[in-house]
Amino acid sequence: MSHAFQFYATTLLVYLGVDVLSVWSLNLQYGMTGIYNFAWILFQSIGAYTAAVLTLGPSTANTGFQHFILGTSIPFPLPLLIAGAVAGVFSIPIGFVALRRLRADYEATVMLVISVVATLIVSNVQGMFNGTAGLSLIPEPLYTFLHVSTLSYSWLYVLFTAVVCGIVYIFVHRVTSSPLGRAMRAVRDNEAAAESLGKHVTSVRMFAFIFGNVIAGMSGALLVQFIGAWSPGAWFFVETLIILTAIIVGGTGNNGGVILGALLVPIVFNEATRYIPTSFAPAAIVDSVQWCVIGGLALAFLWFRPQGILPERRRRFPVPPEYAAMAAAGRYPPHDERGATGTPPVAVLASETES
Amino acid sequence: MTVSTLHDAPAATTGAVVPLLSVRNLRREFGGVVAVDDASFDVLPGTITSLIGPNGAGKSTAVGIIGGGIRPTKGTVQFAGEDLTGLPPYARAERGLIRTFQLSSQFSKLTVLENLLAAAPHQRGEQFRVLVFGKRLWREEQDRLLERAYELLVRFSMFEMRDEYAGNLSGGQKRLVEIMRALMANPKMVLLDEPMAGVNPTLARAIEGYLLDLAAEGVTLLLVEHELDVVERLSDNVVVMAQGRTIATGSMTELRENEEVVRAYLEG
Amino acid sequence: MLLANVVVPSIGFGIVTASILALAAVGFTLQFGVTNILNLAFGDVMTASAFVGYYVNQAGGDIAESILAAAVFGAVASWALNRCVFTPFVRRGTKLFGMVIVTLSVGTIVQNVLLGAFGADFFTFQGGLSTQYHVAGMTFSTLQLVIIAIGVVAMALLQLLLSRTKLGKAMRATSANPALARVSGISTDRVVDVAWLLSGAMCGLAGIVLVLNTTTFESTTGSSFLVVVIAAAMLGGVGRPAGAMVASVVIGVAMEVAATFITPTFKEVIAFGVLILVLLLRPQGLFGQASSVREVAA
Repeated sequence: MSHAFQFYATTLLVYLGVDVLSVWSLNLQYGMTGIYNFAWILFQSIGAYTAAVLTLGPSTANTGFQHFILGTSIPFPLPLLIAGAVAGVFSIPIGFVALRRLRADYEATVMLVISVVATLIVSNVQGMFNGTAGLSLIPEPLYTFLHVSTLSYSWLYVLFTAVVCGIVYIFVHRVTSSPLGRAMRAVRDNEAAAESLGKHVTSVRMFAFIFGNVIAGMSGALLVQFIGAWSPGAWFFVETLIILTAIIVGGTGNNGGVILGALLVPIVFNEATRYIPTSFAPAAIVDSVQWCVIGGLALAFLWFRPQGILPERRRRFPVPPEYAAMAAAGRYPPHDERGATGTPPVAVLASETES
Repeated sequence: MTVSTLHDAPAATTGAVVPLLSVRNLRREFGGVVAVDDASFDVLPGTITSLIGPNGAGKSTAVGIIGGGIRPTKGTVQFAGEDLTGLPPYARAERGLIRTFQLSSQFSKLTVLENLLAAAPHQRGEQFRVLVFGKRLWREEQDRLLERAYELLVRFSMFEMRDEYAGNLSGGQKRLVEIMRALMANPKMVLLDEPMAGVNPTLARAIEGYLLDLAAEGVTLLLVEHELDVVERLSDNVVVMAQGRTIATGSMTELRENEEVVRAYLEG
Repeated sequence: MLLANVVVPSIGFGIVTASILALAAVGFTLQFGVTNILNLAFGDVMTASAFVGYYVNQAGGDIAESILAAAVFGAVASWALNRCVFTPFVRRGTKLFGMVIVTLSVGTIVQNVLLGAFGADFFTFQGGLSTQYHVAGMTFSTLQLVIIAIGVVAMALLQLLLSRTKLGKAMRATSANPALARVSGISTDRVVDVAWLLSGAMCGLAGIVLVLNTTTFESTTGSSFLVVVIAAAMLGGVGRPAGAMVASVVIGVAMEVAATFITPTFKEVIAFGVLILVLLLRPQGLFGQASSVREVAA
């Protein structure tokens, strides 16, 4: 494999890892809990900026052409973790405003507005994160320490990304396959019923929001420490649409399905259109074609297959053998015999038709 | 029990049972409309009480207030000796007061079994700090819940349907899931808003049987119900509402003789 | 006073902005009110209409013809979008949030088609009509007066339509309860068509006057403005045209007055500050009723 191809491959793989974290995080919120987080990109961005200002060193360095807050050099892997935590912390006031009992499209619109406002503020307040120009020269973690070639470093970063994905997956899986995951889906399916059965709906939603955004923040840190730069152009509110489309295509609510979506949508479609020969059309066309494809994909799947390629799995539970036998024989468990007043035979109810 | 108007309900006298639920002077307005005007009644523990009245009498609103989903303009709700005013629905559920809904409220994309599992309150497995350390900390609790769920499923003859998505069930089956879910929560009292509405007669009879079983096991029930013969068969006590007010209480026989009640039904 | 020299003229700007905003916000809120769709493609249809007006002008048409062309395009395009895309999705069972993704996707496609067709550069649209008038300490160009006039006339006509005509009553009925309206014999399909034509015309008008006022524009101009439009619509109570009009004046003037005290680029943050306050204190807006979950009409 040529060096050029390897660089391309490592970039793609790191992006894939970041996108996998992204789809898991938004899936926790949207797919599992029904939170319409149209401000998702904002949280990835918070993570990216946090990691940047924690590793860039003082803003006066490099002739001070960048103006930003903080500016320290915190050792690996702390910036990643802190980035996640900061994104989580920001989730609290934003969640407080946006996660009130609003109808779905309202909530989405509010989130969208918040995302846009944030872009506006960051772009215009120069001293915060260097405004529209953004931050650059963000150092890659442990690069000088490791003394390897840039290519070998890239592969190491791929490995690092994979490890982060693996660890995050453990937590994500623990949540989604647990009673908490079930409570989240119950809240998604019917808030009022969930609450009437004792679920703290607001807490459940807040948890999903925070947990998802922590992962989003970490994905941002992971990305920014690889590509070295971050600016408002990277996080316009429509970027959330890419991840959302990936989830819709791959399979809402299905952790494996969304990985497929992360593979297909950001990677395949965006990379595929990159090879439209530039003699054919100017550079702006490529960009616009990519967005049109994303929009078209979302529409197509919402029309033909809203549940996605790999829909949410049906969860089954093991049955102790004595129950299976009893149910088959149509008999109740012994200690229930006293209560069986006037209850009709099993057959009538088991074959219940629409009344 | 004697026929009486409940605006000045007597305090519990010596030897009398303390009510599990005590509703006093409830009032609720929506815009300009007064849905509930001055409703007061008691429900004794271990009994089945029916709330009846013509359309628009405010029965569903009253149940909504008791369940916590609707905030009253005035009045109090006391449950198991505690004032529930201001408590949201989940807090009431945690105290053993469960409400079911008139329209289907199942968790459609969860299986029937999952619907039941989700209904149990206070699960350790729902706390993140427990989850983080792995399945073994909540597996035992889940196994116990599974056992209880399986028992209920067999008892209500829904065992074969346990892995069906609740959204795919027929209306009657959804109603059964609703009742089973209420039971998973180990309630002291269940509020049922027209549990037999839209259900075929055979299933309605079956549900009657289940409700009687529940009362026999000590669960207190408050039903909103239209079918007066069902009310007569099931209820230990009947409360009549008309135009937002509680106008009488007693047994069906007594109420049939009550002029005010008869007039209310005729005038609607 | 110095303050008067600075604040009063900004009120003038505020009135112009309010007129533009009112056209857009009322159009947006009408679409929501009658069909229960939060149309996030609204801003992009505005941009497209502006491009149409611009090219009419380039081809030799005068300002009036450009404005008319934009309005007509906006009307037809919006109507077509609803007929061919939004309503079919609703009939297919797409729920509220799904519709948000649908409208956003459509908007993204429209915006990027414009980007691909016309490139990323800024366009300049000089409306001429630059004679200055001084009124009560505020300065307006003829063009700005025309914009204000368009806004006021359009709003007045719409109010008349909604409150006095049969069609207006039908629209209000469909807005309040589509099922009931249908059962009462109102042809809700026809009402919906008219609503989208009207609101689309306002969308087109808003797009062209926005561009004439700022003179430079490109493919993202409309969608950037959309967020202020949403703020005005929500402040006024979504689905309430009268509310949107009042909210537009409030936000338009507030934005411009604030711009004299803080960085002009920040003035949009004012609108969002207002929106956040609204959501925290009174989510139904100034004139709305407490929102209940309602599925999309049609």
